[in-house]
Amino acid sequence: MFLARMSDNSNSPTELEGKVSVQHAGDQAKVYAARMRLQSALDQADALDAIREIAVNLIGTEEVLVFKIDKKRSELWLYWSFGADPNKYSVLEVCREPRLTEVLSGKPVFRSRFSTENLLSTDDPVSALVPILVDGSPAAVIVLFRLFPHKTGIEPVDREICEVLSNCAGRAVGPYHSR
Amino acid sequence: MPKKVLLVDDSTTTLMMEEMILKQRTDYECVTAKDGLDAISRAVVETPDLILMDVVMPRMNGFEACKRMRLQASLRETPIILVTTCGDEEYVEAGFQSGCSDYITKPIDGFELVTLLQNYLGE
Repeated sequence: MFLARMSDNSNSPTELEGKVSVQHAGDQAKVYAARMRLQSALDQADALDAIREIAVNLIGTEEVLVFKIDKKRSELWLYWSFGADPNKYSVLEVCREPRLTEVLSGKPVFRSRFSTENLLSTDDPVSALVPILVDGSPAAVIVLFRLFPHKTGIEPVDREICEVLSNCAGRAVGPYHSR
Repeated sequence: MPKKVLLVDDSTTTLMMEEMILKQRTDYECVTAKDGLDAISRAVVETPDLILMDVVMPRMNGFEACKRMRLQASLRETPIILVTTCGDEEYVEAGFQSGCSDYITKPIDGFELVTLLQNYLGE
């Protein structure tokens, strides 16, 4: 098995340097691919598909929801879902979800590795909350639920990819018409 | 002559990422296909040295494409690596039953990908 082969390798300083270099190149490729995919999205549906592709293939989750933020910024309304039950999460109330206040300031929020704290009061564990910025303001929030079982947590490259999602996924929610 | 790798995925994001990693870190030539059916016809024409193929794809999944590739004389010995979202034993076993040589899990790690391919193709 491949993983067994990998663990057999002893890492000399040179090998370690090479590994870090390849790792860095791989991470940069992911960030670049995410940005290019979102920026080349043809329309709203394609941009939502780009979010799905990025979540599954680059971050490692198959449960994603996108919520639009209401005009008063007091509620989030479910707009799109992939892999998560949309009937369970039609509305999120900001007053009941303290971490949403942070997200509405425009910065993604991540669950710490090995933390038992959930970011929302949901049954399912939330790994990240990512605001989608339109003209510099949050217009929607991407909720990334549980990661693949073999993935131990959100990594630095995932945070970079989420920053790209935050800044480049505006087309997914279209022109910002609040409720 | 550079080794040729056939990358198969319905996600343009994944194809872009895999191609970038391999072009930056190896001399391999990359060709691409968008689903299992497309992959079979591309593989027959291109006779790649290795095939890196996603499992979940429209029209024909990676398991089925792998089985059909193994029926082609020209592809019987070609290393086929499946890209899965799940490292569960049953799922991996299904991959080996279909005739794959190895597997790698999503999200793909750059170092793991390059090392794995170099194990089969050399540097």
